[in-house]
Amino acid sequence: MENTRDYFDAWLKAQEKLFGGFVENTKRAQQLFFGQATPQGAGEASGFQNPFSSWTAAFLNSLVETGDSHRHAIKHGLSKLLGGSNAYVKLYEMWLPLMKAAQEKSLNTDSYKDFADPAKYKDLIDHIFGFDPDAVKLMLNQAAQVLELSTGSAQRFTKPWAEAARESMNVLPQFAEGHPESFMKMFHSMFNAFDSTFGRVFHVPPVGKDREKIELLLRSFDDLSVYAVKNTEYQHTMYVTGLTAMEKVVATLAEKIKSGEEIKQFDEFFDLWIDVSERAYFALFQTEAFAKLQGELLDAALNVRSHFFKLMEMHLYDLPIALRSEMDDLYKTLYELKKKVRKLEAQLREVNP
Amino acid sequence: MKTPFVAFDVKSLIKELGEINTKLIKGAEALTEIDEIDVGATPKELVYEEDKLKLYRYQQAGEITCRTPVLIVYALVNRQYMLDLQPDRSMVRNLLQHGLDVFIIDWGYPTKADMYLTLDDYINGYLSTCIDVVREASQSERINLMGICQGGTFSAIYAALYPEKVQNLVTLVAPFDFSTNDGLLFNWSKYLNVDALVESYRIVPGDFLNGGFLMLMPFSLNIRKYVDMLDVMEDKEKFLNFLRMEKWIFDSPGQAGECLRQFIKDCYRENKLVKGELRVGDRLVDLKNITMPLLNIYASADHLVPPAATKPLNDLVGTDDKTLYEFKGGHIGVFVGSKSQKELAPAISKWLHARPGQGPRPTTNSEQQTVAAEAGQAILQEASSRKPAVSKRGTSR
Repeated sequence: MENTRDYFDAWLKAQEKLFGGFVENTKRAQQLFFGQATPQGAGEASGFQNPFSSWTAAFLNSLVETGDSHRHAIKHGLSKLLGGSNAYVKLYEMWLPLMKAAQEKSLNTDSYKDFADPAKYKDLIDHIFGFDPDAVKLMLNQAAQVLELSTGSAQRFTKPWAEAARESMNVLPQFAEGHPESFMKMFHSMFNAFDSTFGRVFHVPPVGKDREKIELLLRSFDDLSVYAVKNTEYQHTMYVTGLTAMEKVVATLAEKIKSGEEIKQFDEFFDLWIDVSERAYFALFQTEAFAKLQGELLDAALNVRSHFFKLMEMHLYDLPIALRSEMDDLYKTLYELKKKVRKLEAQLREVNP
Repeated sequence: MKTPFVAFDVKSLIKELGEINTKLIKGAEALTEIDEIDVGATPKELVYEEDKLKLYRYQQAGEITCRTPVLIVYALVNRQYMLDLQPDRSMVRNLLQHGLDVFIIDWGYPTKADMYLTLDDYINGYLSTCIDVVREASQSERINLMGICQGGTFSAIYAALYPEKVQNLVTLVAPFDFSTNDGLLFNWSKYLNVDALVESYRIVPGDFLNGGFLMLMPFSLNIRKYVDMLDVMEDKEKFLNFLRMEKWIFDSPGQAGECLRQFIKDCYRENKLVKGELRVGDRLVDLKNITMPLLNIYASADHLVPPAATKPLNDLVGTDDKTLYEFKGGHIGVFVGSKSQKELAPAISKWLHARPGQGPRPTTNSEQQTVAAEAGQAILQEASSRKPAVSKRGTSR
């Protein structure tokens, strides 16, 4: 194993951080158990997740710091594995207020809402389904860069869209908290962005050779807004299902406590949560409405993708490189020639067995 | 009433979290000691290759007790080494031990150059050529065709088109009747705009399909599995078993767009195969032409290919010698579960041996291997434009 020394130096650092985290963790645990704080609103490096997060971050970094390509491969594998554990710890954090409520004998689904942090649950669901709340924003930024290349006026044009995306993302936790009316904020912010960008453009008909390009750009932005809305609707469905499942978990838990059962370990809660959540999502996924929504979301995403590819081709046309459509033609020719050769070979074999 | 959580004090809380960290540290140590996640270890010989496809013959150390060779046809989704994941979980090894002469197709990883490949190319082209190579290699007029999952659908289509070349047909967890709503994938595909998907990607990424598979059991497959993994990380062998399975799950080749388009539209959407309306190339597929013995295996708890999609084949074929076999387990358990090793491979072998004309071959094993290489070479010489040389070897990707 190369760079063993570097690796173990880094490893040692990781261990130091880990134990530092433990000390901090103990302090926090004491605070919690003596009722001085609840872990609501804690960030990635706060609460009970702290030692875990600091350890995983430090450990993964230690693998990278050694600079060995083999370490990178390990890091890739390990980070995937740690991902699952990370969700486990996130759930652990959510479990703490429940435990506190149970100690105070006030655990029921209504009181749970006072303790639970929807933003944290949203994080958890994001992790499970691979949602990236910043993805739409990132796409808008990329779109803005394309626009900058085309028109040189990106700043003024894209700012409202970036704002709209940010506002939309901010609205998501409100959905999770069970305020469907906040869904309209998404449409309003998108409409405002549209009005202050394309709305203006529509009053000034594009002329000359850039006309086609501008029209495609407008379509791309339109596609992007459709995708953003559809994506929000999709994620909203997921969050609401998750929260409903969580309420069911709490109700089941409260029922168990009421009937005198003891739940001593977090793992029991974890098992219950997995079981109830899996059932809830399975029921959702089986509905026609979900299948339709999922189909629409994919369609919207593919529209965005396909228009951006066309835009890219337009911008790359003058450069001495083979474009995607040109390669498609080449592949088609190759495919047809191979078929012809095979057919001829088969005919030859028939004539000359 | 007992006081809840009374044993859940600070100490045990810290202990529980500390245990997770300890397991992770030990597991990470185990991971740094693993250089390679080896799969598909049973020795095999490359006998034919064309474009991305490779055809292998497994080395038979013992006596061949079933004269007709078996060709395993795996799905285009995921990789065929699932059948030979590790020595103690290998259906291939098991079949060899039962005296079968086993060939397997590795479809490879399509690139954009393969985006126009259709069902016709896969079935009347690649699969048909492989079957001819196996026939020549084993000097058998007919072969035993064993198709798995989508490979089972392909095998049934092939058997219906070329019944004269198939001695016995074995299908495992393969979909035939797509009208069922039992499986989520069947329901979701109704609303999938496959034209837009193919237009956008050309080669539809394996990750896209994998995402769909993970959604079938999101909590178990994205969280529980990795939490449970913490319990096996300390044991290098068990951890390696886990990693082999992980490697297989995420080793997903892309799908040639045109083929996927046709498969989704004609099979998933319009269910043409069971209606007798499916065309592959210029030929209509009539399942009644399956007149050879059929062993159709389904898994009772299959969430990918539900029994309702598999079982109807037995009512649609033309043969009277047909067996419907229920395996009590899930889709993946059919290949790698310990129950599968003990039960399924022996059952397949027994069924094949019991069919007419399946006694031992007259030639020795070494003679058979030589014939295999020569048969591949002969076909390659005829189709020299398809493949440079039979001896060409290399990594699959």
